[in-house]
Amino acid sequence: MLTTIEKIVFVALALVSAGFTVHGFKLIIDSIRKGRPAPELKNVPASLLNAGVKVLFQQTIFKARKALSAIHMGLFFGLITYAFVNLFDVLEGLVPGFDLVYGGAHIPNAPTGLINAFNLIADVMSMFLLVAITVFLIRRFIVKDKALDYRENILLNPKVKAGGQQIDSLIVGAFVIMHVIAHLMSQSYRLTNGAYPFMPIASFLNSIFGTSETGVHVAWWISIGWVMFIIPYLSRSKHTHFFMAPVTLGLAKQNPRGQLDPAIPLKVIEGQKFDPGAKFIHDLSWKRALDAYACVQCNRCQDVCPMNFAEGAPLSPSALEVNKRYLLKEATFGSHPDRLLLPLTETVISAEAVWSCTTCHACVSICPVGNEPMADIVDIRRRMIVDGAELDSGVQNALQSLATNGNWMSKGKRLRGRWAKEMEFPVKNATEEPVEHLWFVGDTASFDERVIPNTKMVARIFQQGGLDFGIMYQNESNAGNDVRRVGEEGLFEQLVEQNMQAFGKAQFKQIVTTDPHSFNTLKNEYPQFGGKFEVKHYTMTLLKLFEEGKLTVKNKLSNYKVTFHDPCYLGRYNGGFTAPRKLLEMLGVEFVEMPRNCENSFCCGAGGGQIWMGKVAPGERPAENRIKEALTTFGESTNEKTQLFIVTCPKDMVMYSDAVKTTGNEGKIEVRDIIQLVAEAVGVEEPVVAEAVAA
Amino acid sequence: MNIVVAIKHIPSIADDLPVKGNNVDFDSVDFVLNEFDEQSIEQAVLVKEAVGGTVTVVGVDVIGELDNVLHLALAKGADKAVKITGDDPAADSHQQAKWLAEAIKGLSPNIVFAGVQASNDLDGQIGPMIAAYLDMPYIGGVSSVEVSDHTATVNKEFAGGFGAKYSVSLPMVVGVQAASKPPRYAPISKVRQVAQMATIEKVAPSGGVSSGLSFKKMAPPVVTGHAEMIGGSSKEVAAKIVELLKSKGLA
Repeated sequence: MLTTIEKIVFVALALVSAGFTVHGFKLIIDSIRKGRPAPELKNVPASLLNAGVKVLFQQTIFKARKALSAIHMGLFFGLITYAFVNLFDVLEGLVPGFDLVYGGAHIPNAPTGLINAFNLIADVMSMFLLVAITVFLIRRFIVKDKALDYRENILLNPKVKAGGQQIDSLIVGAFVIMHVIAHLMSQSYRLTNGAYPFMPIASFLNSIFGTSETGVHVAWWISIGWVMFIIPYLSRSKHTHFFMAPVTLGLAKQNPRGQLDPAIPLKVIEGQKFDPGAKFIHDLSWKRALDAYACVQCNRCQDVCPMNFAEGAPLSPSALEVNKRYLLKEATFGSHPDRLLLPLTETVISAEAVWSCTTCHACVSICPVGNEPMADIVDIRRRMIVDGAELDSGVQNALQSLATNGNWMSKGKRLRGRWAKEMEFPVKNATEEPVEHLWFVGDTASFDERVIPNTKMVARIFQQGGLDFGIMYQNESNAGNDVRRVGEEGLFEQLVEQNMQAFGKAQFKQIVTTDPHSFNTLKNEYPQFGGKFEVKHYTMTLLKLFEEGKLTVKNKLSNYKVTFHDPCYLGRYNGGFTAPRKLLEMLGVEFVEMPRNCENSFCCGAGGGQIWMGKVAPGERPAENRIKEALTTFGESTNEKTQLFIVTCPKDMVMYSDAVKTTGNEGKIEVRDIIQLVAEAVGVEEPVVAEAVAA
Repeated sequence: MNIVVAIKHIPSIADDLPVKGNNVDFDSVDFVLNEFDEQSIEQAVLVKEAVGGTVTVVGVDVIGELDNVLHLALAKGADKAVKITGDDPAADSHQQAKWLAEAIKGLSPNIVFAGVQASNDLDGQIGPMIAAYLDMPYIGGVSSVEVSDHTATVNKEFAGGFGAKYSVSLPMVVGVQAASKPPRYAPISKVRQVAQMATIEKVAPSGGVSSGLSFKKMAPPVVTGHAEMIGGSSKEVAAKIVELLKSKGLA
């Protein structure tokens, strides 16, 4: 179709375009390779293939925003189809006689059926593409969906603030529209024999504009010319997403969610000494740089972040990713390699935002491309701690107490088992006599006066169910889950050593814990320190006791209407969704599910060291937001049933009891640990203590 | 500038204090660094950061576990650690002050910091006694120290929110109430690193003194009353209060 001169021009332009593209991706890959080693991945081809399948079926985006995800799917399939469309367009231009209209009628022995099918798909997909891209452009530029924006107080690269992503979106949006229209026009101008049923849209255009040899040429050049411009441009825009998203998903973390990557890479590199955590961008592992290129700022992470709502803290996981990409881009494509030597807290995320993360994992779980912004945050904290950054006074007090007392509450070690000594029956010391279940109680359940009645009730129910259990009394130290997530890796290791010593003294078959945070680190992180135990959360142990008939429901609790809050470290981190729900079902309560449940549960705001913070961000707190959600779920109170907010984490007991008070909802909703309901249903009561007489 | 910090390892009062015979049962209590000493270590390091010099931390090793505390001080910026092998948990303030003073003498200090008091030295004797043994001026209740040449400018706190600024010529002993900045956090990785590398100088205790006092009896405090939380609706609470007042003949 093309003239010889056109062909020469095309080849020349194609070479230039390819040159810029290769150069762009080389720079990207170089910038990724500058990162530190990441934990080793197993069977990479299989996981890439698996990711490919997920991408093909667009599985990971449907976790949220279903309608927009469907549009994304249209865009995705449209672009995939257009990759072939463009290939054939080029062939039509270069190979004389190669022409797919009318089923390839001019080509000898052409597979007409196949060509017809392809033409039909391409024609229909063109429409899909145009609709999808128009919806996205309307969403961004006319409706101005707030979800695509960042709040004022969030640190942003100046170029992002100046609308860098808007320009990217506009250019790529305009490209898609003009490219598709040009292609359709070039096809329609070719339809010299009138309508062709397998190209309904092109046929329709043909009925208006007719055929034109010049038209074919002009439209072809617009269509393909755009492609030659846009492909190298993609490597310089947020649309690296197209190429990097499947790769990132394929190379996503394989270790358990609840196992943080080490503070210093395990892989030893000759002549390189690593400090713990990250101060500069290349202190992060190469995968964290890859994250930045895969992220297209859909901001789903921001939607689910418990610290990103109302006036909250200045945290947005997606802003972190876009800032990282701009930092790398300015260093590689731009003229600012010097900015790589600025601390991350000045370039990608503010120190205040770093310290407001609850490590709830919602951003990581929701991310369609498998990014882990939370991992960056923990690494930045790690380095800040080692560098002696000024810490929040509450965090510092907690860490100091953890270092000296093994708990964050500034209580003496010997007081840990005091609640057990007050029991009406002896609680075994697992470090002195063998037990089947070693109960790892945790700090809050051991020391907090508000929670101790529940702790004692757990002991009574275990006793009632004939469970052979014991605790470690003063030998137990904080398990270190939140210490590690606050970034104090050295203290975490010290706590692990202390607990491992204690476990060494004890004889037991499995560990049961009342605290989801302890549960997580004992289950997922202690194995790396040689602590390979079977670890259960108490809801799992309770369920087993019921299923084995060792506990039986005597009183059905039909007078309660309850909802259940999934603790992050039991649910999202470790998939412990079913045991608490099954228990509630057995107890006979009326159960209603909050909109944000299981994998999408909303953090109480206490994790990752937040419960220690002396300074709290202004505005509504996550726990308050959650209590309101529960009340909305219950709907209009009928006053017939008591409305309960059920928790299975000692920290939740504290956080939500406070939130009920601060939101002024006392009397409407009551926070209870599931053990309180179990006790009521099983018929175990607190022993009657003779009332103390005031002196 | 030779900066010396005299510290005390004391029984933790985070636990209930167990009693044995007529003293604390030292075997079943954890020992911790006196919290005012944390402040004085910080103040010493701040002075060093401002004017240069070395910080030497000195303490009596009463139960053989002082190394941990000294490592922490080194991780926070002290340069040298000295422990006096007293090995007597019952050593009183008089005795410890004497031992500390004897050890400090040899360090020819320009300024000595000590916590203004401790939970087992509420009358804050250690600082003044060290000053007396060293024949130096003492100023206590201090909340900030600035050093220039041969003079220290200190803020001393008084009751009722009053304070005064003093200029004192060195050498001197300072009883620290609070450092001018909150004590820094020493990351455990650093503490552990220090623990592996640092050498702690051991000094035998020298000079015996007696306070002239002896314990007659020690007992846990007797609970003399308690608060009772009254639950229920406001009407029920009111009724209970009325009932209580009546039962005590107050209404």
